[in-house]
Amino acid sequence: MTAEELKRKFTGWVFDEIDLDITSESLVGFATACGETLPKFTDPTDPDFQGVPNYLTRIHGTRALPEDFPVEMHRCFDAGKSVEFHAPVRPGDRIHGTSEIADIYEKSGRTGSMLFIVHRMNFFDQRKTHLATVDWRLVQREFDA
Amino acid sequence: MILDLHSHSIASDDGRAKVENYCQWIERKGLPLDGFVLTEHRQFDDASDYRALEDRFGLLILKASEVETEYGHVLVFGVNDDLRAAFDFARIDNPIAMVLAESERCGAVAVPCHPGRPKVGMCAHWETRGPVEGVRIVETLNGGSREGENEIAERYAEEHGWSRIGGSDSHIVSHIGRCATRFEEDVRDIDGLVRALRRGRFDAVRPEID
Amino acid sequence: MSTPAPKRFEDVEFGEDLPTISPDVSLANVKIFAGAAQMMAGRFIDHEDARANGLPGAIVPGIMSQGILVALIHGWAPNAEVLSVDTIFRAPLLVDSQPTASGVVTDLDEETRVVEIDLVLKNEKGETPVVGTARVRL
Repeated sequence: MTAEELKRKFTGWVFDEIDLDITSESLVGFATACGETLPKFTDPTDPDFQGVPNYLTRIHGTRALPEDFPVEMHRCFDAGKSVEFHAPVRPGDRIHGTSEIADIYEKSGRTGSMLFIVHRMNFFDQRKTHLATVDWRLVQREFDA
Repeated sequence: MILDLHSHSIASDDGRAKVENYCQWIERKGLPLDGFVLTEHRQFDDASDYRALEDRFGLLILKASEVETEYGHVLVFGVNDDLRAAFDFARIDNPIAMVLAESERCGAVAVPCHPGRPKVGMCAHWETRGPVEGVRIVETLNGGSREGENEIAERYAEEHGWSRIGGSDSHIVSHIGRCATRFEEDVRDIDGLVRALRRGRFDAVRPEID
Repeated sequence: MSTPAPKRFEDVEFGEDLPTISPDVSLANVKIFAGAAQMMAGRFIDHEDARANGLPGAIVPGIMSQGILVALIHGWAPNAEVLSVDTIFRAPLLVDSQPTASGVVTDLDEETRVVEIDLVLKNEKGETPVVGTARVRL
């Protein structure tokens, strides 16, 4: 299938959902390893303790791509992530994440022809507050339609 | 006159710079640039009009394209309707010989960019697939190239007698002007740029060093 | 370590450099990150495993690079409300290397008090395996 055909078939619908509980340990470890020093990110006793703005980028659903998406995962790599931050994630939150494919396109780069797949996740807490939108640009090398 | 001949804005899928911010950057940092060319990936950006920014900042802002061929990426200056009808700018496997020939036929100039880069640079393919007719100019200074890549481009240019251009290949605001091209004559618009490129009186430079 | 003073929007200048940092991407620290993020794949925490899979060595997870750049912002402006971060992973950043992280202000919107920042992680060769942008409100 060409990139255009893949885009027509696979974009714009939720193909996966996940629920996850957030722990202080994970929030602290993530923040401190990245070099954060502010207490609100590193000290669970801080009254405003929360995850760093890009914490939710670490969460993936049960699958990277929709069922029967024709990709060879061993040729894939992570080309980038963007996060739109809406509200903080806190310890004890139960996160609900949804996955959809937002875009698919083809280009050539240092590793040859590439298929770019933009996997979009939206995250909500138990109060249904929209916490973040994360776009993950997954790339398959040597794409041959 | 010094122009950055290779840059990307948010119109490119991997571009993150707004054109107004490029202008502000050049002005506030006092970069020795008279303007820049937006060479968006796999398209010609018809919709954008930068004349107001040109007037406000006193810079020349031109539009061109970076297209993709089986020999790597190529900058195309002087894109017009004839050329857009000649081949599909969105394809990643346009034959380079066709891009060069059609650009010539339609009054544009095609320049292989970052030719020393693996896979997306012409030189590696030159070695494996053979030489290409119609190359006159190559980009020997690309601001995004890694160690050795510009040197490969320079070696090919020297060996084949090609003229040299420079461009930042910037995708973020602060990278504009890392490399550029110095023209002996004034360039006022895209037709003037095409004429100047055809005359061959220019060279690749690093504006903050040269 | 004392927290830097809050940054006022009025004090930010176009072209202002954020203080450059030398982040810790040692194997030990990357393992801490990988554990916290549940990303214990060999390519991140084991040089031999990474090489066996065609990499020059273990690589820093992309989102850790992104987190480092977010920490850079907080080090400059602890009161910054990060609205968005967008990072492009152009090449692997190697574990146990000595990168530097830097940023520069590229836009200021007085109405919304939003500052845009270019972000770069540079390796020892001066190459930029990770670039990005962020929007923050002050």
